[in-house]
Amino acid sequence: MNYPVWYRPGLGGGLVIAVIAIIHVFIAHFAVGGGLYLVFAERKGLGERSPGILAFTKVHARFFLLVTMVAGGMTGVGIWFAISVVQPAATSILIHVFVFAWGAEWVCFLVEIVALFIYVHTFGRMDDRTHLAIGWLYFGTAWLSLFLINGILDFMLAPGGWVANGSFWAGFFNPLFWPSLAFRTALAGLLAGVYAFLTTTFLDAGATRTAMTRFSGGWVLASYGGALLAGLWYALAVPGPARGASLASPTLHRALQAGFWALVALGLLALAFVLARPSSLSRPLAFLALLGALVLVGAVEWLREAARRPYVIHGVMYANGILAGEVDGLNRDGFLARARWAGVREAGEGNLLEAGRELFILQCYACHTLHGFNNDLAARTRNLTYPAMLAYLGTLHDRRPFMPPFAGSAEEARALAAFIVKGVHGRELPAGAPEGGGGRALFEANCTACHDEGLVRTRTAGWGRARLRAALDHLSGLNPGMTDYDGTPQDKDLLADYLAAAEGGAR
Amino acid sequence: MNPLLPAPETLPAAWGWLHGLLMVTFPLHLLAMNAMLGTAALSLLARLKGGPLDLRLARELAKVLPVLIALTVNLGVPPLLFAQVLYGPLLYTSSVLMAVFWLGVPLSLLAAYCAAYLYAYRFAAPGRWGFVPIALALALLFGIAFVFTGNMTLMLEPGRWSAYFGNRGGTLLDLGSPMFWPRYLHNVVGALAVGGLFVAVWGRARAGREPQVGERAVRLGLKVFTRLTLAELLLGAGFLLSVPRPVRGLFLGGSPVATGLLGAGALLAILALAAGVRGRVILCAGLTVPLLYLMAFMRDVLRAGILEPVFGPEALKVAPQTGPMVLFLAILVAGLAVIVWMVRKSLQAGG
Repeated sequence: MNYPVWYRPGLGGGLVIAVIAIIHVFIAHFAVGGGLYLVFAERKGLGERSPGILAFTKVHARFFLLVTMVAGGMTGVGIWFAISVVQPAATSILIHVFVFAWGAEWVCFLVEIVALFIYVHTFGRMDDRTHLAIGWLYFGTAWLSLFLINGILDFMLAPGGWVANGSFWAGFFNPLFWPSLAFRTALAGLLAGVYAFLTTTFLDAGATRTAMTRFSGGWVLASYGGALLAGLWYALAVPGPARGASLASPTLHRALQAGFWALVALGLLALAFVLARPSSLSRPLAFLALLGALVLVGAVEWLREAARRPYVIHGVMYANGILAGEVDGLNRDGFLARARWAGVREAGEGNLLEAGRELFILQCYACHTLHGFNNDLAARTRNLTYPAMLAYLGTLHDRRPFMPPFAGSAEEARALAAFIVKGVHGRELPAGAPEGGGGRALFEANCTACHDEGLVRTRTAGWGRARLRAALDHLSGLNPGMTDYDGTPQDKDLLADYLAAAEGGAR
Repeated sequence: MNPLLPAPETLPAAWGWLHGLLMVTFPLHLLAMNAMLGTAALSLLARLKGGPLDLRLARELAKVLPVLIALTVNLGVPPLLFAQVLYGPLLYTSSVLMAVFWLGVPLSLLAAYCAAYLYAYRFAAPGRWGFVPIALALALLFGIAFVFTGNMTLMLEPGRWSAYFGNRGGTLLDLGSPMFWPRYLHNVVGALAVGGLFVAVWGRARAGREPQVGERAVRLGLKVFTRLTLAELLLGAGFLLSVPRPVRGLFLGGSPVATGLLGAGALLAILALAAGVRGRVILCAGLTVPLLYLMAFMRDVLRAGILEPVFGPEALKVAPQTGPMVLFLAILVAGLAVIVWMVRKSLQAGG
């Protein structure tokens, strides 16, 4: 609410960040692990006096330079530019709290560039010891970059003591710092080995190719084991509230599934190349392994993002840029009056739709598109009537802990509900209470966020009033994805009456 | 006070420290950026000329270009970082208002980088359309300069931000600002001039190994430098005329610092021009580097003057992070020492 919102309702800024971030994170981790791989591969070549392995390492290094400098460097800039236009308020906090960490990371980036260019261009022209030392310097600064960025990234999910004391060190060495560092280091090694699978396929079949396939497979398996252990440590270290909120998210389950299958595929491929038949490594299989690694990284990042919700900085700032500490004041005094970049300053009967649109842009659009690919609000509110929408807004955060609460006055909640129901779906707003009495009103307020009436009728056909009433006492028993209804016994009676009557009517 | 101006964050160090870091690092980025632009432009020019010597020069410059792009991007990080810390409310806002173009910067960079590599690696590819990758890279780099000029101008003009309410899609451009076009031309022509000088310096260093190519680079580079610097004297004056009258007054006697900077800058430019005309490459470069620093200081005075009614350091809170700052400076010194060591080893190895 401090900054304007870049508003592209069909696109959504989150998607822009996600696409760039997944590619960048993939390459950035690979840039770290790849440095170590290069040094070890060169050492192996020197130790075994193998011109083949050294030639392979040289070619691998050149590809490595292209991928990390061009794609890695530019997507790194891209992610910075993207977060600054999609999440300017949170970016501003991260930049101000950690400017010296970012600065140190820049120094590492500079040393990495110089080291990598020199390493690649002096291959075979410099004495071995110095050349290896430059390789180590590249890896050391790349890993230090990871160390620095890791502290800032984890701060967003678990800011730790910083919330209370504002200390740089408390925020940087937050509760997730060490497990995350271990996990990301292992992930970096894994990606380096997987990438090496691909460059190995450019070698002619023979002893060198077999040796490097085995070497890369061993590399992947060792990192794989490390990543599993460190990943478990990381998952256990995620603070309870973040874990609880994210477990309620349906997208998290999809990310978990994708990550799991990617892990299985990678493990099997690595085992096959090391133990069974290194000669079976082909370019399509190497690409498959690379794709598996990309899916794995995507799933990990997705999980991290999901765990952070509804915040962008956990416990401090919601994903829509509203500070957690501001919500009570905004509920009391109104949101629009205090939002700098609102086009209207208050909501009233005369401007419900206009004010509602402003509220949508400033509070919902951070996560929801309108008729877009990602998290389309129009699709999610298709069944909601105006009273249901209004009731839903009042309990948004309680029902869906991964969503921020609506912040604003009662009039502003009406405006947002009106915008979604009439402005988005084109339905007229009701003049009075809905027909069907209290049961209908309760149904609209509590059920239609997830089910339309037809679906409920289909699912409860033939149940009768007594079974319906009993089910209302324990909805999660019907489906673990449903939250239990917290209405009074009288409300449940009314709702059961309504559903039973509707069922009778349907018959 | 402009009601749209976002509330600033607390600074992690006194304004002077952060501002000092900005002013030290920004000209380094300018130097690299100018070298990159000049190298790309002169490589294209030499390629289009097409004689055997020019083709060799174009090819050698093509090999340097990817390194210069990487350095320009890298050296652009600290000034943008410190500018975001100091001017966050202005810079984040203007970036959001023109988000589509701003996000186009990394995309264009990526494309330009790929084109530069393609040009370098496939230089020998059949001739007629061989110039296309470098021409494309150059066009993209000019486009990036256009977007940067637009953003750095828009952040200075909160009075124009209300246009957002008629266009929230991130496609606002501050083309209506009287400063925009003079500033853009001043930036780009100046960059090409200094870039020409970089090619001359590079040619001088190259002359030991390839005398003909080195000499050609010196001649072409100095020619570009002197001609464009002459043009730059006029364009600079045009830019000065385009800035708001009270701020212009600072440079014309209103402020001793601003006037002194302008006078010193003009003097250095004329001296550098004279050195360039006489073919004194190293002297010319020795005068141009401080000139770039002076230009950056003038730009800073201009920014402070324009923003004075709406934004200033005195309103910002500070919570110093002494330990992290000292650590950063130590890492910077260590990093530079490592770089010096690596470059020496590389030169010893003939890299």
